Amino acid sequence: MSEPAAQKTISVEVNGATYEREVESRRLLVHFIRDDLDLTGTHVGCDTGNCGACSVIVDGTLLKSCMMLAVQADGASIETVEGLGADGQLNPLQQAFSEHHALQCGYCTPGMLMSAKALLDENPEPTEGEIRRAIQGNICRCTGYVNIVVAIAAAAEAGT
Amino acid sequence: MLLASVEYARPRSLDEALSLLAANPNARALAGGQTLVNVMKARIAAPDLLVDLADVPELRGIRETDDGLELGAMVTYTQLARAEEVHRERPILAGVAAQIADVQVRNRGTVGGNVCSNDPTNHLPPVLVAVGATMAIVGASGIRLVPAEEFFLGVYLTAVGPGELLTGISVPRRQGGDGFASVTIGADGTCIANAAASVNGNVRVVLGCVAATPVLVEVPSAEEESVRSAVAGAELDPPLDIHAPAEYRRQLATVLAGRAVRQATGAA
Amino acid sequence: MTETDAPTSALVVEEQETRPGFIGTSVPRKEDRRLVQGEGVFFDDVKRHGMGFVHFVRSPYAHAKIVSVDVSPALELEDVYGTLTGDEVSILTDPFFEMSVPPGSEIKDYALAVGKTRFVGEPVAAVVAATRELARDAAELVEVEYEPLEPLVDARRAQESDAPILHDEAGSNVVWEGVFDWGDWDSCVAEADRVVRIKELHFDRFSSTPLECSGCLVEFNRGTGQWTMHCNHQMPGIGAIWMAPALRVGTDKLRFVTQDIGGAFGNKICLHPYFVACCLLARKLNRPVQWTEWRTDQHTANAHGNERWFEDTEVAVKADGTLLGFKTSAIDDCGAFPRYEPLGCIIWAQVTPGCYRWQNVRVDFTQVVTNKSPVSPNRGYSRMQHLWFTERVIDIVANELRLDPVEVRKLNYVKADEFPWTTPNGCVYDSGDYARCLDIALELVGYEGIAERRRDAEERGKLLGVGIGSTLDSGTNNFGQSQLLNPDLQFSGNNEVATVKLDIFGEVVVTLGTVPQGQGHETTAAQVVADGLGISPDEVTVRPGHDTYWNSHAGFSGTYASQFAVTGLGAVKGAVDQLAGEIRTIAAAVLGGVPEDAIELDGGFAKLRDNPDAAIPFMGIGAIVNANNAILPEEARHVTLNCRYVYVPPFQVPDKERKYGNLTLTYASQIHVCVLEVDPETGAYEIVDYAAVDDCGNRIHPQIVEGQVHGATAQALGAATHETFTYDEQGNLLTPNFYDYHVPHALDMPPLKTGYIESASPFTPLGAKGMGEGGGAGIHAVCAALQDALRPVGNPIVYDSCNPPHRVWELISNPQDSRGRVAVESR
Repeated sequence: MSEPAAQKTISVEVNGATYEREVESRRLLVHFIRDDLDLTGTHVGCDTGNCGACSVIVDGTLLKSCMMLAVQADGASIETVEGLGADGQLNPLQQAFSEHHALQCGYCTPGMLMSAKALLDENPEPTEGEIRRAIQGNICRCTGYVNIVVAIAAAAEAGT
Repeated sequence: MLLASVEYARPRSLDEALSLLAANPNARALAGGQTLVNVMKARIAAPDLLVDLADVPELRGIRETDDGLELGAMVTYTQLARAEEVHRERPILAGVAAQIADVQVRNRGTVGGNVCSNDPTNHLPPVLVAVGATMAIVGASGIRLVPAEEFFLGVYLTAVGPGELLTGISVPRRQGGDGFASVTIGADGTCIANAAASVNGNVRVVLGCVAATPVLVEVPSAEEESVRSAVAGAELDPPLDIHAPAEYRRQLATVLAGRAVRQATGAA
Repeated sequence: MTETDAPTSALVVEEQETRPGFIGTSVPRKEDRRLVQGEGVFFDDVKRHGMGFVHFVRSPYAHAKIVSVDVSPALELEDVYGTLTGDEVSILTDPFFEMSVPPGSEIKDYALAVGKTRFVGEPVAAVVAATRELARDAAELVEVEYEPLEPLVDARRAQESDAPILHDEAGSNVVWEGVFDWGDWDSCVAEADRVVRIKELHFDRFSSTPLECSGCLVEFNRGTGQWTMHCNHQMPGIGAIWMAPALRVGTDKLRFVTQDIGGAFGNKICLHPYFVACCLLARKLNRPVQWTEWRTDQHTANAHGNERWFEDTEVAVKADGTLLGFKTSAIDDCGAFPRYEPLGCIIWAQVTPGCYRWQNVRVDFTQVVTNKSPVSPNRGYSRMQHLWFTERVIDIVANELRLDPVEVRKLNYVKADEFPWTTPNGCVYDSGDYARCLDIALELVGYEGIAERRRDAEERGKLLGVGIGSTLDSGTNNFGQSQLLNPDLQFSGNNEVATVKLDIFGEVVVTLGTVPQGQGHETTAAQVVADGLGISPDEVTVRPGHDTYWNSHAGFSGTYASQFAVTGLGAVKGAVDQLAGEIRTIAAAVLGGVPEDAIELDGGFAKLRDNPDAAIPFMGIGAIVNANNAILPEEARHVTLNCRYVYVPPFQVPDKERKYGNLTLTYASQIHVCVLEVDPETGAYEIVDYAAVDDCGNRIHPQIVEGQVHGATAQALGAATHETFTYDEQGNLLTPNFYDYHVPHALDMPPLKTGYIESASPFTPLGAKGMGEGGGAGIHAVCAALQDALRPVGNPIVYDSCNPPHRVWELISNPQDSRGRVAVESR
């Protein structure tokens, strides 16, 4: 990994499955996930790292996958929205989002869910202020965030 | 959104990182990427080689010393905001780090990146000048220590030269009180204006956003009115942009300097 | 940011009598399952083998002649598949259809810049390559030689004799101009006790910036000449009307396929130039071609909301605050190309008097081009600009005449018992109770206790302000209003289509002509169908999105203009009623030739009302018609169980002479109240309390309505506090991405309280009104609250729709400047 190269073979684990691919060093992690791995749940909403639609969890850390190169994720374990439920069953966060109408167009939703998951993994009983802080990096143009906050609080109550 | 072709390397040691940087004049160090990847997306910056510092052990960690704190250059804002030692020894750093951008950015952005990019709207440069921090720069010729107020040279320009790396920041233990005040674009957003203050017998007031580098203002005392007058009379020439005409930035600098000092004296 | 356990839940007042069935209940949304699992299909999720990625070469100049375009350096790169230039476009296509009269009609608008570029970011050439990154690399090699020209960036200068002319063929920067004169302005001035004059009000340029950018994946079938576009065009009906003649093909050669769309808010209506470029490339290169707009592209080179100046306004008022009339000159800046314009020049007239009983109105309206991004019908389209104007007017009048802002509104609001109300230009407001909504909003923010909150704020060094924003969301357009701008246009009325069928195995399947982008059409359509057939929404399959091949659309199909609840659901209701009738026809025939009204539909069965044991399951009905029709009597054999219904609202062509007639079918209303605190030393302010009260008639799905209110309010607050597309003198956009163009995030949002009443519309199939664009009231409310807050510091006048901290500070530090815009004449 120490040799400079414009093309590298990387191995990443995503939602428990391991993928080995050759990528250009310049390829963003979000494009790798979407275009190379065909996991299109993670979305692109901007080009300056402001919107959070691309948020994923890498080695337990919530980050924006458009602000990272795929090569930086070599050897990492990544969680995306596709890994939240199991066998088509929605997890409590996903259930709560639907119940409380926390999504309209659904475009920010995957990133929002990952941010919510990161919050609840660390802080199972967040206050409203902590919830808002946790999703500050996720822009939504449809909901005004009201129901998203309600849904995350409800999921916390239900216990993820 | 689509980067130009670039080579990537991930050295395992500081020496390896330095030799990669020295060997290629158009190489850039990649810390958290929260600034560099953005500018590369816009192709404003197009380095030939990215030297990823993620695996360089010498750059990590927060250590407590007799004099204060040693922050590794790769310490993230989240780590800084949560470190127990920081809360104990110099809480202003934790408080300010917690305001930067958002969770995702804080999880990856580093103190080294924040000071080395020296965007005039960044939070840490004025704070580090106010608290009298010292930067450790390592290169082929060894290590040199540069006081924060001499470290920032221009927009995106610091004392770190080609083939060198900022390895850490030393922050003296707090003796009096510190303060930080800002007006931002949206809650906890990019700073339109900011000011940092440290009160400990003498008073250090540092303004961000009003010049290419943090501006250390001479103030007669910690009394808020005298701080405001000093800043108002400081002949600042702030930039004008869509968020603030120059006159408005000058006004904000005056008000925020006073508030930062007020916070510092309250915290002393 | 106050810490509370959960946001206050909605205050619901006065629902109509409880209706049985699913309409009116908040059933789980059908869309959610796939979306929360990341299994939605947005256009960029669609892939085709061998597809090429498009990158546009874009103009760095706001105004320049294009001297030459050389794509050969790009073509030399390996894996670059091909290019497209303006010269090719001008040969292969005809200019897009223009709706205006001369000079605007002479504008030539193509898929790429031809001969000249007229805004920074305008696509000048296109490159297609094997990867996204490579396409960009190659695009950077294309050499374009420009001869820069002086740019025009101020609409107020557009008609000056030395202003640069954007479109030589038109010879003028005017797209459209006209005078609207209703009532008798001169008499009402004579009758007035006061005339309030306001020099200039400015509605700022911004847009709803949907999170998903525009784009398409286009395939061309050489054998049939058919294009298929997987895309997010929100109004395919008009998209085809623009594209087909340009491409010199029939509209059926353009197949629009959408599934999930990440918000649109009117910003995905004018995508046809990009789509035509992609169609030409797909045909030329004989491979699928994919274009993704990036955020910076969306901000610089897709569409903005209309920017409008209101000059030399005069308001005639009685001493008691009764508003008699107003006169103003409006200058509308539509950017470099009109496209959907000049419709904005008349659309505002749907709400000419706003919420008020004004009778005398004179508006001199001019729309001009400038070297900025073209506009498209951004959420609130043209009505929002005008309603902001009427609210600023009443707020300024109340301020200058020292009238109570609540009382002066109630005095002038159209009263609940006056509906249906005909406006000075013949629009019919169907129903409402604005005063009631205002009372609810005031109660939600604790208006009674405002004086004490003001004192408390003062003690903390802050200035507290309260402001009211009243707005109407006019829904379901009569496109005949276009003839008031151009009598030769052949557009009038409106339509929408839905198909409901019963399949061979008894499945109920619905296809819509609309193009949902998050409004829950699948769900609400299922509710209507469920009630129509006596089944549950879970048993109704609604195909997601839009597809030309379903033949379930008409000329005006799409999702825009707050009309789905009326047109879309009107079509669904028509189709399901037809289907229910056909099911009863079959059942009646099969159950022994009984009359059809003896049959009722319940639980998936067609039953004899008097003997419910005599029942046929829907599956049986479906099987008979599809596979066993010889058993049917002659009179039942016309039944297809495949019911396509075109909903046509009851419009007439308006009177072109008087510019008079009903332009929209429904009028939802929203009344907002904003309480904020200003830091007078910095101009920064915080919204500390906020209420939005909505009345959209019968709510099909209350939770969806509430979601729209939340979202629209958030967008309005963004537009009021930060969002503005500002240009420098060279025509460069200074807010080209989310770094500088700040949109509200979760920490920016104030506590949001909501309330609802339901004033059913007498004009629509379900008593519902379209809604979703009413949030503009937030801009009006914030402006009013700021003006109220700043009264003690020089009483400045808020004259711009967007007030970031620096503008508030300017109002505070130089109140004489803004006060100089207002004068009161006593008569």
